[in-house]
Amino acid sequence: MESLRAKKTEYITGTIEVSLSALTGFLIAGVILELMGYNALNIFNIMITGGVSDLSHLAGKSAPLVMTGLAFSIPLMAGVFNIGGESQLYMGALAGLVGTFFTGSIPIGLTLGFIAGAFWGWLMAALRVYRGINEVITAIMLNWTAYYFIIYVIIKYLPNPEKPYMSVQLSPHEMFSMTTAFWLSVLGALVAYYILYYTDLGYKMRVSGYNPKTALYSGYNPDKSILFSMALGGGLAGFGGALLVIGESSAIDTTMSSLYGLGFTGIGVGLLGRNNPIGIIFSALFFADLIIGGQWVELETGAPPYVSDTITGIIIIALSAPYAYRKLVQLYRLRRR
Amino acid sequence: MPHTSAVEMRGIEKVYPDGVKALDNVEFEVCEGEIHGLLGENGAGKTTLMRILYGEIKPTRGEVRVFGEKVSFHGPWEAIRKDIGMVYQHFALVPTFTVAENLFLSYLSIKPKANIMEALDKARQIMDETGLKFPLNTIVENLPVGLQQRVEIVKALSRDARILILDEPTSVLTPVEVEELFTALKKLKDNGITIIFITHKLREVLELADRITVLRKGKRIGTIDAGKATPKILAEMMIGKSLRPTEAGREGVVGETLLKVENLVVLDGQGVTRVDNLSFELKSGEILGVAGVQGNGQSELAESIAGILKPVNGSIILKSEDVTDLCPSDRYRLGLGYVPESRKKGLVSEMSVTENVVLTNLHLVLSKGRMIQWSKARSISGKIVRYLDVKTPSLDAIVKYLSGGNQQKIMVGREVVRESDVIVVAEPTQGLDISATRFIRNTLLKLRGEGKAILLISSDLDEIYELSDRIAVIYEGRFIGIGTPDELTRDRIGMLMGGVEG
Repeated sequence: MESLRAKKTEYITGTIEVSLSALTGFLIAGVILELMGYNALNIFNIMITGGVSDLSHLAGKSAPLVMTGLAFSIPLMAGVFNIGGESQLYMGALAGLVGTFFTGSIPIGLTLGFIAGAFWGWLMAALRVYRGINEVITAIMLNWTAYYFIIYVIIKYLPNPEKPYMSVQLSPHEMFSMTTAFWLSVLGALVAYYILYYTDLGYKMRVSGYNPKTALYSGYNPDKSILFSMALGGGLAGFGGALLVIGESSAIDTTMSSLYGLGFTGIGVGLLGRNNPIGIIFSALFFADLIIGGQWVELETGAPPYVSDTITGIIIIALSAPYAYRKLVQLYRLRRR
Repeated sequence: MPHTSAVEMRGIEKVYPDGVKALDNVEFEVCEGEIHGLLGENGAGKTTLMRILYGEIKPTRGEVRVFGEKVSFHGPWEAIRKDIGMVYQHFALVPTFTVAENLFLSYLSIKPKANIMEALDKARQIMDETGLKFPLNTIVENLPVGLQQRVEIVKALSRDARILILDEPTSVLTPVEVEELFTALKKLKDNGITIIFITHKLREVLELADRITVLRKGKRIGTIDAGKATPKILAEMMIGKSLRPTEAGREGVVGETLLKVENLVVLDGQGVTRVDNLSFELKSGEILGVAGVQGNGQSELAESIAGILKPVNGSIILKSEDVTDLCPSDRYRLGLGYVPESRKKGLVSEMSVTENVVLTNLHLVLSKGRMIQWSKARSISGKIVRYLDVKTPSLDAIVKYLSGGNQQKIMVGREVVRESDVIVVAEPTQGLDISATRFIRNTLLKLRGEGKAILLISSDLDEIYELSDRIAVIYEGRFIGIGTPDELTRDRIGMLMGGVEG
């Protein structure tokens, strides 16, 4: 009974926390909007309803976010901070494009996307495990390495003769719908859930993340867990990149505008989803809704895009701050020990 | 000997918020210019008393005088201004800074406007006076522990400390480094520095100190001139006399050898020898108690038997199988149980009872496809909960919400449930109340009756006497005495624990 009550209070405090966070977020955003001379209620209305107006578009937009959300959350469970979801997604997008373009097979593209992202994530973990380099620093550097690598490859080896700012393009029969992309991302989240809670690999990973000393005592190697979690997280981000190319964009442009920011947004998705694969699906939908709604705000009111970006940012920060704070404190304590 | 007192502590009492009385009406006086040994077992209150003197914690009651002046420190910075310096067991240096930077940093706390040259000149002058030499431009974490300690001492002295407190300074040192430290401390004494030396090692305190104060369980037992003290007198003061406990339940039948440890040598991260060429055998139906002051290699011994630490030499044979090169999970599968000394190490407090039971029993619940069969895991944890009467609301309760005693039962139960033949148990009743302690000890006796071989590592002498068929005393990584409880009297164990043989 003791734990049931503990669980119940946890849910209640959780609900109160989320409601208060949302309220704070919207209040601050509202004050800023009013100060800038906009009608806050009108803009909120457009932002929230805008995304829901086309459900398959919403679902498709959220697919890569589900994956980058997982890419952040899974390593966090093993005690690693994965800021590299961004470039893991880039690598997966490129591999997905190349794989599908040259073989004409979507499964090969998806698989290569996963492998490319997994390698990139594993590399960041390996530098931490074998060379003791903080994973945040390597991730930030490798993010830019990947960014310019992709642009280089596109311009040098995969240029589109008709549109010089684009890579080669997948033909429609080499693609699937945005809804399919979404269901594949849901499948990815379910697989992640299964691995985390029903396999020895996931169990060892969670133990290492909570308490590396206990992991050692039990005969599990925390380093292996770190490598595995980053490979899995990176692989999922890469899979998300492939989903994006095959399901929506069909090509990568040389300004990277279709890819940029999805990995970083994944950090917010993971935190808002409370590190739970199922929660992450919903939080990705919420994010996608705000992003699409932001574009509607621009269309309907003529407000520049940074207005809606600011609002999105404030709401997200308010919603994920309490959980992020607790997680960071926990991680910090672990490392000091 | 000069007779002005450097430190006077009167009627010191310290009660912690949880009601634990760490110090009870303690009187403590140190004369100016002497080396004063502060002797006692773990938990006797030595460090607490010194942390009060250093202003780190406040006494609940009592009066502190430094050089005759009544003081009431709000923090160590005030103690430093009254010329008190403290060298902790775990050093307070910035590991990624150079020695010079560390010295400068600490110097700034007494002279905020000083530049680094002043700080280094001062340090060099002290190094010349005391003979405590070390390189200035090396990064601290690259220095051997012995040299780091010298930096700590010079750091304290460069802040003009006239009273120097050293907390178990020799516990991290090699024998040669200990000699050098003693020479330096004697030189410091000649220069008029008052030294308080916290230790549990009888030989060291007799060699170095002018006078010795002994604490036991938060009380001052007495102060004695080192010239009049003998190891026997000190051991008796430290441990106390008490009756041999009951003979209850000593009818186990000792059988074949189940664990054999030969010439085991284990080093710690710093390369200091922690287990020193240790050999012993453990038989079925026997409890071998390992007594000793904490930090003499007990946890390294346990961890190397479990396979968490790799020994640099020697072998470990579990039921006629050489397991020296196996990892912990393989050893657990082959019939070894290990209950670690701390629940922080043995349990994931955020996970459920069942998830914690799985930790060392993963091989029992894994399907061929490496899937965890949670139903099987729940039936195992249910068995433990029934067998040991664990008070938990459910098998899915998060363990941090359980009491310490119930957490301990889970740690013991999960090692027993897979029918381990050899069980290493470290500090099984630390921090538990009387009834939980009773229960755990009875469980261990019952297991012995079932023919298990149990290695009991404990710093609680009562526990050792109550449970052990044989007792080994560990000191600096070696068994310096081994025998039955009848052969090893309390006096003798006290001396052995303090490192005095013969």
